[in-house]
Amino acid sequence: MVGECEMALECRLAEAGYGREAILRNLELRVRHKEFVAILGDNGAGKTTLFRAILHLLPKQRGTFRVLGRQIRSKEDQAWIRSQVGYVPQRQEKGRFPISVFDAVLLGRWGKTFSYFRRPGREDRRAVDHMLALIGLEALRNQDCRNLSGGQMQRLNIARALVREPRILLLDEPATHLDAEAQSILSDLVRGIRDHSDLTVLMISHDRIQAEAMADRVVYIRQGSLHASPVAVP
Amino acid sequence: MSIIDYLQIPVFQRAFIAALLAGGALSLLGTVIVVQNLTTIRFALMHVALLGGAVGLILGSSPLTGATVAIVLGSCLLGPVSQRLRLEPGLIGAFFMTGSMAIAFLLFYRAGVPAMDVFGLFAGSILTLTSLDLWVMGVLGFVVVAVFAVLFREIQLVFYDREQAEWLGMPAKKIENVLLFLAGMSIGVAMKIVGALLIDAIILLPALTAIRLARTFLQLLIYTSVVGMMTTLGGLLLSMVIDLPTGATIATVGACLLGCSWLFRR
Repeated sequence: MVGECEMALECRLAEAGYGREAILRNLELRVRHKEFVAILGDNGAGKTTLFRAILHLLPKQRGTFRVLGRQIRSKEDQAWIRSQVGYVPQRQEKGRFPISVFDAVLLGRWGKTFSYFRRPGREDRRAVDHMLALIGLEALRNQDCRNLSGGQMQRLNIARALVREPRILLLDEPATHLDAEAQSILSDLVRGIRDHSDLTVLMISHDRIQAEAMADRVVYIRQGSLHASPVAVP
Repeated sequence: MSIIDYLQIPVFQRAFIAALLAGGALSLLGTVIVVQNLTTIRFALMHVALLGGAVGLILGSSPLTGATVAIVLGSCLLGPVSQRLRLEPGLIGAFFMTGSMAIAFLLFYRAGVPAMDVFGLFAGSILTLTSLDLWVMGVLGFVVVAVFAVLFREIQLVFYDREQAEWLGMPAKKIENVLLFLAGMSIGVAMKIVGALLIDAIILLPALTAIRLARTFLQLLIYTSVVGMMTTLGGLLLSMVIDLPTGATIATVGACLLGCSWLFRR
């Protein structure tokens, strides 16, 4: 029997969604510290909605949430979640305007160590340089993000999430739209980071083989049934 | 007459200061329009100004007063209306443009408003600015620079990744609304300097030029400001030297600088 304190994440979603109709209903998910859980499911099954529910970004959300043992009820709790969770969304546009790789990663620390009148300090810059080295983008430090490849862009997005020094990392289909080589590099990177840190990782994927190879456990969200079915990885 | 002689005349002194302010500060809002793809809002505000001018005439005021009030109101409403209707501001701009133009024409017809007096709003000139115009421009320029300086990282994040800005707890919508409001006000001021049809010379072309050359957000802002000043000051001085219409010369210089940026592209 696993104790409460060993759980990085516990959610018992009564229902969650965007409008009148709930997308997730009676969904239960428990994730241990340092566990790597892959989430599979059809399009529209509610995988991204689950992440948005974890981040408390949905207009309609009922249920019980515990992140790192803390029950999430108030706005202060939500702000606390932001300091503990790193999120790499699915959207991977390069943007229209010029921004250096360094600046893009630095923005990941907004709200944690700097905001408004409190400008980024030496510690922030050191953290970004460390993260760029870890993720293998240090040579592109001053490069314009518009010139990055899809794989480099995805690594940058992961660096931006990790530079907040989160304890939980949410990856929403990080390998989508990448070629086989970039997918392989990305998989090695995520596995390496997870193996050498205390990070708990939840990853949405469409690729069952890749998910089973990378994760400790694979969870399925099935459209209609709206519940998670854990499947042991052999 | 030499440029020095021209600059002894109060009209040209005001024009020189206005060129510095508009090119250096107001052009920064062009980055908002380019990055957020809001090119329709300048047309929308021009037509909202037209409607305001018509209403101003009906109420016995000057068309310019009506147009100014309309631009302030339109700038305030653009952001909130687009968020309320969940449509991009660019699309709401199209709604504002068509709706205000249609109502303006109905007013021309029913109230017997002389349409040509209102269309005169579209022909501005940097040489007709008053001291009050300069003060308004100075205050607006200061606010624009202050907003970009104080909210530098916040604007950068909203431009780069609005979704992340929101989930990090940043009031992204409010920041966008402030920028939209300032952009609307700048369009109103630019209308007075070069006329509505050449607004792009001050608001859009410097940002379009800079976005091709810059590698970072800071560079984008600095280049936009420098190119903006080169456009307005260069156009003003050139029009003095070779005796050309000022608004058209400013716009030509802006277009030439954008053309040159293709040659020096990264």
